[in-house]
Amino acid sequence: MTVLLLLAGGGFGAGVFGSLLGLGGGILIVPLLTFGFGLDFRAAVGVSLVCVIVTSSAAAGVYLERHLANLRLGMLLEVFTASGALIGGLIAFLLPDRVLAGLFALLLVYTAVTMLRRRATSTGDASPSIENPDDAAGAAPAPGSFRAALAGPGYRPVRLGAGIGGSVFAGLVSALLGVGGGIVKVPLMHLVMRVPLKVATATSNLMIGVTASASAIVYLLRDGINPLVAGPTAVGVFAGAMVGSRVAQRIDVRLLRLLFVAVLALTAVQMTLRAIG
Amino acid sequence: MTAPVTASGASSAGTAASRSARVDRSIARILRAGTLVSIGLLAVGVALLAIAGGSPLERTLPGLDPARIPADILALRPEGFLWLGLLATLATPLLRVAAAVVGFLGAGERRMAGLGVAVLIVIALAVVVAQRPAA
Repeated sequence: MTVLLLLAGGGFGAGVFGSLLGLGGGILIVPLLTFGFGLDFRAAVGVSLVCVIVTSSAAAGVYLERHLANLRLGMLLEVFTASGALIGGLIAFLLPDRVLAGLFALLLVYTAVTMLRRRATSTGDASPSIENPDDAAGAAPAPGSFRAALAGPGYRPVRLGAGIGGSVFAGLVSALLGVGGGIVKVPLMHLVMRVPLKVATATSNLMIGVTASASAIVYLLRDGINPLVAGPTAVGVFAGAMVGSRVAQRIDVRLLRLLFVAVLALTAVQMTLRAIG
Repeated sequence: MTAPVTASGASSAGTAASRSARVDRSIARILRAGTLVSIGLLAVGVALLAIAGGSPLERTLPGLDPARIPADILALRPEGFLWLGLLATLATPLLRVAAAVVGFLGAGERRMAGLGVAVLIVIALAVVVAQRPAA
């Protein structure tokens, strides 16, 4: 009973912090389950994938209703994120735990640095200039063409090839490390494809469900997901994300972000130690 | 001569936007319903697990066997609800893709529908490949 409550409570905390800091829960859930509950790395990734699908599905519905997510762009890219996730799911069962822990440590460091830079630049929704999107894309796409169908109000995604390549990588990262992959997809869409930040965030969130499902199916069919652990954790994460999204407007997250960066750094050290044995 | 063309163009753009909004809304409904069903099933499983007592980390379960789920649910065993909740969780984004395919076909957007079908093919491939034993 105590362990059950701790799993749900840990999931709740991950959901609240993930929601407040704009992160998927995966980056928190995997360390929580490996260090807090002694799960092996792959088992923690399996549970984490379930949790990110739950939070993605809940948030994506809201983003779609508010017309923030670009469904067409998301569907193009998720063909490739899902392919990457399928490959990643298969590779995950070939790699030793230590290698996965080492990769996760790198992800933690990257996330911590990204959060620090975000704090330093504090750009808000600084969309790349789209006054003349043809600068990067060449000639404007013909009306009715495939590229034109991907456009949204005031923007048109460019560099589709880079977006597709990056999406395969995002899918691999998601499947290997049990995260949503937003940390790859959002900068890819925003900085490379010149999609406004809010649209990139919403579209990334929409894609997470399908991406994580592709790899979660591999984990599930290879007995890589323990429902007795996934159930309480996912319920806790869902409840936490609901609470976090409601209190986010009332909380100054600057200090929280610094604290979180410190936690990420410490966790990265622990993951590195686990990786080197 | 120009005015009717402009009006027709505007009307066509308006219709496309309205169709697109309709697809977005129906997908949003599917995602919300799927999430509620998944979380509901998982929550019932967790409650039954709490009643049964013991640590979930110490119990071992056989792998997923869909044929056992109905019997487990009828017997109010937590694993039945938890497995079904997990399957509902994984199925929700896929239902979203299937709904988008139907919506895009209805709107005559065959290329977009094709992308959705491609996603579903990747998922089907995952099911097939995952059942082969890992090396």
